[in-house]
Amino acid sequence: MWKDRVIGGEIISEYLMEARKLTKEFEVSVGMFKSRAKIRAVDEVSFGIKEGEQIALVGESGCGKSTLGRLLLGLIKPSSGQILYKGRNIWRLSRKEFEEFRRNAQIIPQNPYDALNPTKKLSAALIPQILRHKIAKGRSEARKMALDLLEMVGLSPPEDFIDRYPSRLSGGQMQRVVIARAISVKPQFIVADEAVSMLDASLRVEILDMMHKIGEELKTTFLLITHDLGVARYFAKNGKIAIMYLGDIVEIGETEEIIRNPLHPYTKALLAAIPVPDPKIARERKSIPLKSIDVPSLLKPISGCKFHTRCPYAIEDCEKIKPELRLVGNRWVACHLT
Amino acid sequence: MPGNPIDVMINQYMQQGMSMEQARIMVSSLYQIDFSKPVWEQYIEYLQLIIRGNLGVSYIYTGVPVARIISYALPWTVFLLSISITLSFVLGIILGMFAAYRRNTKADHTITLFSTITNAIPNYVLALIFLFFFACVWKIFPMRGTRDPRIPPGFTLEFISNVFHHATLPILSFLITTVGSWILQMRGATISVLGEDYIKVAEARGLKGKRIMFSYVGRNAIIPLFTRLAIAIGYMFSGSVLIENIFTYTGIGYYLTYSVTARDYPLMQGCFLITTLAIILSNFIADLLYGFLDPRVRIER
Amino acid sequence: MVQVKEILTKALKKLVYDPLKIILKSRRGTFGLIIVLFFTLMATVGPLIVRYDPSTVNLSEALQPPSLKHPLGTDWFGRDILAMLIIGSQDVLFVSFVTALITTSVATFIGILSGYMGGKVDSALVAVTDIVLTIPGFPLLIVIASVLRTSNPILLAAILSITAWAPLSRAIRSQTLSLREREFVEMAKCLGMPSIHIIFSEILPNIMPYIIINGIFAFTGAIYAQVGLFMLGLAPYKSQNWGVMLNLAVNYAGAVFSIRQASLLAPAICIILLQVGLVFLSGSLEEVFNPRLRSG
Repeated sequence: MWKDRVIGGEIISEYLMEARKLTKEFEVSVGMFKSRAKIRAVDEVSFGIKEGEQIALVGESGCGKSTLGRLLLGLIKPSSGQILYKGRNIWRLSRKEFEEFRRNAQIIPQNPYDALNPTKKLSAALIPQILRHKIAKGRSEARKMALDLLEMVGLSPPEDFIDRYPSRLSGGQMQRVVIARAISVKPQFIVADEAVSMLDASLRVEILDMMHKIGEELKTTFLLITHDLGVARYFAKNGKIAIMYLGDIVEIGETEEIIRNPLHPYTKALLAAIPVPDPKIARERKSIPLKSIDVPSLLKPISGCKFHTRCPYAIEDCEKIKPELRLVGNRWVACHLT
Repeated sequence: MPGNPIDVMINQYMQQGMSMEQARIMVSSLYQIDFSKPVWEQYIEYLQLIIRGNLGVSYIYTGVPVARIISYALPWTVFLLSISITLSFVLGIILGMFAAYRRNTKADHTITLFSTITNAIPNYVLALIFLFFFACVWKIFPMRGTRDPRIPPGFTLEFISNVFHHATLPILSFLITTVGSWILQMRGATISVLGEDYIKVAEARGLKGKRIMFSYVGRNAIIPLFTRLAIAIGYMFSGSVLIENIFTYTGIGYYLTYSVTARDYPLMQGCFLITTLAIILSNFIADLLYGFLDPRVRIER
Repeated sequence: MVQVKEILTKALKKLVYDPLKIILKSRRGTFGLIIVLFFTLMATVGPLIVRYDPSTVNLSEALQPPSLKHPLGTDWFGRDILAMLIIGSQDVLFVSFVTALITTSVATFIGILSGYMGGKVDSALVAVTDIVLTIPGFPLLIVIASVLRTSNPILLAAILSITAWAPLSRAIRSQTLSLREREFVEMAKCLGMPSIHIIFSEILPNIMPYIIINGIFAFTGAIYAQVGLFMLGLAPYKSQNWGVMLNLAVNYAGAVFSIRQASLLAPAICIILLQVGLVFLSGSLEEVFNPRLRSG
């Protein structure tokens, strides 16, 4: 999957951010006697994100997508595998290099009510990091930049907002400030972890559009993590979607292609589950006969393909051998049947 | 340390005509520790003795084994504390639940205010006030001691009522100053349980109020309190030091203070040890209880 | 210059005026505030206006009930009780205050360090805290105080804090642990802010209310421990300290026979008032910090 080119002794990766056989295990205490069990939240995931791409990472709760996002940002340490930024393993960087990576990889978290310090004014949510990374040369210049940022995320006039406390903002306004916070250090890569999930539906489109705009203006690469295929489709219209299931990426490809022609059975099931308002279309749609509704627990390891317990098309191999991501057309799919 | 009783005793023996060496040997055999060895070695010998159940011999009550003093004193303290804690806890949870069910009424406000105030009063201050008024001025209760030494011990009504007569003021001091804490905790726990959905479901199902109150609300509200009870028992040992002193109630706390002022090191160490053990034991029980009582912890994910 | 004045008035409004409004709205809060102010005055200004020298023994005037000459009567040695009370308040309040300061500072330092750093540092500190927690506080206090007979108030305060910091440290640690997982802390880390900034700017301001309120409880605990210690006669003899006055009361209780001598218990009443006042005040402060608790 990875094709590194070496030019003049330097590794030039074609990806801005890349995961190679990335694994993260968590230890969990179970039961009264607190016996330990290991959960593999991310299971040998490999994929890459090119500069300027907009990718949506889709999956149900507990599939490991948030963990994957945080691994890519270096907020969690992997159990095994590598995370590469511009071809370099982020955990092998020198302190100065890591600081630079830090600056260029930011997160927009899910809960706008929690992502701002309630005891501080908005100016304190923006200015400290601007000064720290020396993007501005003094408090007044930093404050001016903060005002510009607020303007950029649609909080106008910014002077009205900058000295407010978060308690005086609505959910949508808070999320805008959070986005302003994330872009305040002009990062190259942003992971938006369910960034619109807690907002009212009417606001979602606005915020997603704003993220598009920012992506274009600041040349930022976005990874949007979401459980909502509709949101993913809207955001990554001209980009890619990656589908995740129980720690594995099962399909990656261009958004419209996947929507029109899903290859992996799980993708098909997800698409079939999207409620469609028109009853006529809904009746005509084929539903995928899943073998069971329950998502298996990660406490018991599943042999072979993780989806085989529910997959209606499973064959004998699916139970024994775990399928790798393979190129099918210009799509990557992990299924024995393609 | 100045005034080392060992040296004093050695001197006394020497005055009786023994040589320094003989005196030292006498004292050593009496306390079963060789005092000429460096302090840390003495301590190791002491630990060895303890493991074998031998706590040494008191200095001031010369020759009396510490273990015997403690075995005399401990039951009194346990008697005092167990009655106090039980009454305090039971009264506390009853009043707490009562107040929670009548939330924001006058009864609730009175109970809460009373609890907050009594909780803030230091227990020994209340004990002193009781001593003054009920024992000294109005002479309703005795001023000191655990019992009247003239009455022979036994399961006679005379003896038992005398013991309780002497124990009333200390118990009251404990009771009044700690009940408030249980009331407030139980009230808080009950209020939060009452707000839970499963209570509404029970009411909707038509269960009688009383049944809900005891089987559902009461049981769930008490769970966190039990572990705090176990911990509180440990801390009561600390608190009894002061109250026993005020009433000259010869329990562990009293002897601890006494041994400190009299520099009776073996006794002091013995009392200290017992108190620490009590606290460790109660914490341990609290941990066990918590794992056992809270069914959420038991269920496997 | 105008800017400084503006900042000052804003700060005053936020730190004094607004909280005061909320405190004064509740009866308990008002009561608590008055009590605390009263005793602070007593401790600071009182000793300057006392007429009698409390250390002179005057047996001819012993055990007199309250009168015009001695508003609270005299004690077993003929000393004016009111005077002793006022001068003694200095000792009690000062030492308890310093004790609370030390206890709270140590607990905050260890709690935040332990909770934020995690890993081996945390494990080590938690182990230490647990050990200190199992040591019976008051008995240990007795032993140490009797060995280290000191009249230095600061040293005394330090001794009183020896085990007191542990429970608070544990609580602060768990607060820090949960704060550490909040998304604004995660963002701050992502934005590259150094740990020092995160601890002081993000975490500390959010547990400050908790620290202040528990600081007040540390104060009440310190009063309890200090007076108790003096009452057992285990600390150097400063006869006006309330605890020493209570010690005399215990030892000479046999000589009490009439209710007119009840004023001998004046320090007891003062202690009760002070503790209750502090508890009420802290309850009111909780309303100040947590707007959801306010009833008005």
